[in-house]
Amino acid sequence: MATISFDLVSPENLVFNDNVGSIIVPGKDGDIGILPGHSKVMSSLRPGRVMVYNEENNLVKSFFVSTGFVEINPEKCILLAESVNEMNDLDKSTIENEIRNLESENSDSVNNKLYVARKKIEALESTFYKN
Amino acid sequence: MPSLKDIKTQINSVGSTKKITSAMKMVAASKLRRSQEKAEAARPYSSRLEEMLSSLASSPASGDGIIKLLTGTGNDQNYVVVPVSADRGLCGGFNSSINRETFKLVKSLEGNGKKVHLIPVGKKSRDFFNRVMKDQILESFVDLNISSTGYESALNISNKLQELYFDGKFDKCILVFNKFKSAISQEVTEQQLIPLDVSNSEKEEEKENSSNAIYDYEPDEETILKDLLPKNVSIQIFKVLLESDAGEQGARMAAMDNATRNAGEMIDSLTLKYNRTRQAFITKELIEIISGAESI
Repeated sequence: MATISFDLVSPENLVFNDNVGSIIVPGKDGDIGILPGHSKVMSSLRPGRVMVYNEENNLVKSFFVSTGFVEINPEKCILLAESVNEMNDLDKSTIENEIRNLESENSDSVNNKLYVARKKIEALESTFYKN
Repeated sequence: MPSLKDIKTQINSVGSTKKITSAMKMVAASKLRRSQEKAEAARPYSSRLEEMLSSLASSPASGDGIIKLLTGTGNDQNYVVVPVSADRGLCGGFNSSINRETFKLVKSLEGNGKKVHLIPVGKKSRDFFNRVMKDQILESFVDLNISSTGYESALNISNKLQELYFDGKFDKCILVFNKFKSAISQEVTEQQLIPLDVSNSEKEEEKENSSNAIYDYEPDEETILKDLLPKNVSIQIFKVLLESDAGEQGARMAAMDNATRNAGEMIDSLTLKYNRTRQAFITKELIEIISGAESI
């Protein structure tokens, strides 16, 4: 099976860069599954999970991205994310604490953080994709 | 003529200054390496963002809302100048050159009848402009500590700028910062941040236009552009902050290296003086003894 090169870039560093079998990214209008030879697409992202699978369709890594963009062409997929966490590094109780702290305040920036934090919980609990 | 003790004290104090400057040099050198790594790590993101943007910038854009970041407000009366300096001194001409260039820029803009406001970043430029043009400062950002806080602090500045921009407070925003050229040289650079200056990426755009023309956009070009533009502002600021941070460490390293060398030279000449004085003293005493003995 063919592979597609996948770059996951955050403002601070290059998080992931390898040839993989397939990727699932949370596009603004719905999740996008990317296989080698995908047509050219540019999309913005919503907060959610990025799943990276190898050629045998086993999970290599999964990330949580807040917002960002993805550029796809048949050989390459570049994902620019504002902030990236590895799913394994997310801890449910810490995030729930964060949500509680944030809920006491109320402003635009906090609401956004709250939204992202809730999405993190959602992502942690989701079993929609193969782990 | 200074006494032997005076010279000795002076040698000692120059010696301890030398120790301090050489320690600072070593600290700056290790920080420089880290800042440089950070700046390099941030490069892929900004270069790819620019690529995306240049392929999108050619799309037809309507004139309101966020698109204004690209097209401008149609005016150029009100300027905001953002000088980016360090929080601390002892780094040679690093801060003063930023302040000088910014001052020049502001004066020349005002000479053309524009209104100029300032948003200094870093203590050294804040303090300077607080003294010379206090009433023109809109806001200031200090203690950013970019190498540890990272992207967040860039985001704060960017949000503030955009808030002011969409309130119609200014039409153009220019960053003045030290571009990191190498460990020992920085170059004061002016960069227009808002509206976005796509002219320098135009060549690339032409080259890539043929291949980019067939992209599918999801949801659509305009929505992506609206997401992308504010992000680009933040990223540009982030990049500038990192460059400036690396430049600061480089400048400090060079300045401290110079200071250490100067202190070394000073110690040498003081030691020579000390020895001469001591010799003169001994000679004088000898003459006294001999002339005393002769007179008996």
